Amino acid sequence: MTVATAPSPAVTGTPPGGPSRRRVLRWLLPLGPALILLALFMAGPILWSVYIAFTNETLTGSASVNSQFVGFDNFARLFDDPNFINSFLLTFVFVIGSAVIGQNTLGLIIALLMRGRGRVTRSVVNGVVIAAWVMPEIVAAACWFSFLAEEGTLNTVLGIEQEWLYTAPMFAVILANVWRGTAFSMLVYSAALSEVPKDLVEAAAVDGAGPGKRLLHITLPLIRRSIMSNLMLITLQTLASFGLIYALTGGGPGTASQTTPLYMYEQAFRYFEIGYGSAIALVLLVIGALFSLIYLRLIKVEDA
Amino acid sequence: MTRRLAGSLLLLTALTAAGCGGGAAEESSSSKELEVLYKVEPTWPHLEKMLNDAKKQYESSHPGVTIKLTPVQGNNEAYYTKLALLNRSADSAPDIYYHDTFQVNADVAAGKLAPLDEFLTKWPDWETQFPDSVKQAAKGADGKIYGVPISTDTRGLWYHKDVFAKAGLPVPWEPKTWDDVLNAARTIKQKVPDAVPFSMYSTKVHGEAATMQGFEMLLYGTPGGTLYDDASQKWIAGGKNFTDALTFINTIYREELGPKQADAHNAKLADKVNNEWFPAGKIGISLDGAWTPAAWKETSTKPWPEWKDKVGWTAMPTQNGEEPGRVSMSGGWVMAMSSYTKLKQEAFDFITVAMNKENAMTYSVSTGDLAVRKDVAADPKYTADNPSVKFFTDLAEVTHYRPAYEAYPKVSAQIQEAMEAVTTGKQTPEEATAAYAKALPGAVGGPDKVVAK
Repeated sequence: MTVATAPSPAVTGTPPGGPSRRRVLRWLLPLGPALILLALFMAGPILWSVYIAFTNETLTGSASVNSQFVGFDNFARLFDDPNFINSFLLTFVFVIGSAVIGQNTLGLIIALLMRGRGRVTRSVVNGVVIAAWVMPEIVAAACWFSFLAEEGTLNTVLGIEQEWLYTAPMFAVILANVWRGTAFSMLVYSAALSEVPKDLVEAAAVDGAGPGKRLLHITLPLIRRSIMSNLMLITLQTLASFGLIYALTGGGPGTASQTTPLYMYEQAFRYFEIGYGSAIALVLLVIGALFSLIYLRLIKVEDA
Repeated sequence: MTRRLAGSLLLLTALTAAGCGGGAAEESSSSKELEVLYKVEPTWPHLEKMLNDAKKQYESSHPGVTIKLTPVQGNNEAYYTKLALLNRSADSAPDIYYHDTFQVNADVAAGKLAPLDEFLTKWPDWETQFPDSVKQAAKGADGKIYGVPISTDTRGLWYHKDVFAKAGLPVPWEPKTWDDVLNAARTIKQKVPDAVPFSMYSTKVHGEAATMQGFEMLLYGTPGGTLYDDASQKWIAGGKNFTDALTFINTIYREELGPKQADAHNAKLADKVNNEWFPAGKIGISLDGAWTPAAWKETSTKPWPEWKDKVGWTAMPTQNGEEPGRVSMSGGWVMAMSSYTKLKQEAFDFITVAMNKENAMTYSVSTGDLAVRKDVAADPKYTADNPSVKFFTDLAEVTHYRPAYEAYPKVSAQIQEAMEAVTTGKQTPEEATAAYAKALPGAVGGPDKVVAK
């Protein structure tokens, strides 16, 4: 690196374009290896999957070795496919229910309640909530399965017989995802709340604002940027959530909890329609991008 | 100087890339190794045992060649996916694999399987030990043979004699029509409330088992019922037979004669039925394959020797007792060879060792699958521990084969959609049939390959 940056008499006399080119090289060179690897292992597969979304590629059969370009056929089929529409609606319910409402609100409430508590309370609550978060997805799913199963903990405690995973599959997966993901929102909000100046809150209290008003008019406006970033992050995470639902209900019964990532998996790897599956993935990517755009826009509007 | 640095950087990257790729190439050229892919489950260790024996025998008689056994943990559906992914590239494809016959034509069309005809003519056992009907199991659309059969099967009804006695039903039981089956289930529901009256596979999680053990056992028992019209070489888009078969499933679940929804959607339904409900006397009737007693044998993880007294078996009747009165479906698995393997003769030799009489016997006896070799079928050891074998072997007289063309796996997936929609009650049999008819052209490659009925 020193070789590239050290000023040497040989290069000082370069034409006017030289220095700026050197400046570009100065940051490009150290980034080079990483960029090449990213291009190879990130951009490569992404471009490939974009390409096969426009073909009839399959995993077995003659189309697996001799696939053809089919234009927008996969997308036309997609929007005419009741199972896809169903999966899309369920994904929406899942994201709103478990991320935007569940994790977000619960995380905020826990963070608010923990403010100013003793060290013991804080570390116990933190420990419990974060334990659910660090747990691998599949282990969390196994826990919830044994909790909600017919001979599971919940039914035993309540003394009833209820097939939760089959009568209320969406409720079950949303609950499990809230349980698992709340820690992330809680951590984001704990950090944000610690930045809220104490004197401001105290001044409002002296002026006669109750706890509700202080929250609404002081705290929330001050942490609004964290709220938006948090919403964006958990929305994207939840949109792509696969393992938890797959292990808990497998998307069933029927298609009752088959969100788009599960539908995509089924089409691509159960029915071997990798081209169609990639088309679904592409649509999911666009939806994720749209969500982020909306959030980013909201942050900007706030700033203006 | 910067140019030199950039150059050396590029060189370094190239070297790293070459280093990554080099490993694989080195490995395959250093010694002769054959990779064998197969499936294993905790309750189904039988094939692994047999292949381990075959590996020892083969390696001692073929010095210089090692057999690498690669298991896939999981059910058939997991196995199909893993195999399809490994087969995407010549580098990762196994040399030899255990293959379900209904997948064979899709792989033949993709050129992933090697024809075995030239090797088979030099293997005396092929002529003397394999019946002609069995030889067809892995015949490609081009007439060539693409696999050595390892098992075949038939399907029928298994019932619990104690449950039948409690319900006041006759033993031995010989239903003549679908209504006889449904009425027996209704009686069980009424008289033996803690038993599941009737179990069948009818959801997507059971994959091909749902299509074949469930749906096709019904469809092929309706008058003229079939998925594929051989005369016009077209797939049949639904029709009355299709709706009737779905109506049977609908009746089972709407009248709550089947397993609970949670169990119907449980990938481990077979283990529940055979390892829990049958020994506990909590099931009336189960529509399943000839291999069912394997779950109760001493070689199983949960032996239940009393099954010979407690369990009865009978054929699945045709819809209204139409000739020949009984119906069965047959499939099976083969040992197949990859077209990518460089050691074709060695690979074929391994298949012959794996399928010699001794190993074929080990497989058939422990799995309960019907034997393919004549010398195994004739051996008293084969029938000694399983009184149901003769009955299920004789079902071959009335059995049907799947139209295992390239498009079949996709058609099967659509059938599973229809079955599951009826199982959960999301669609009526008529609606599910209509949805199938709508989806079929896409599955088989165009409306010109479909005929309405």
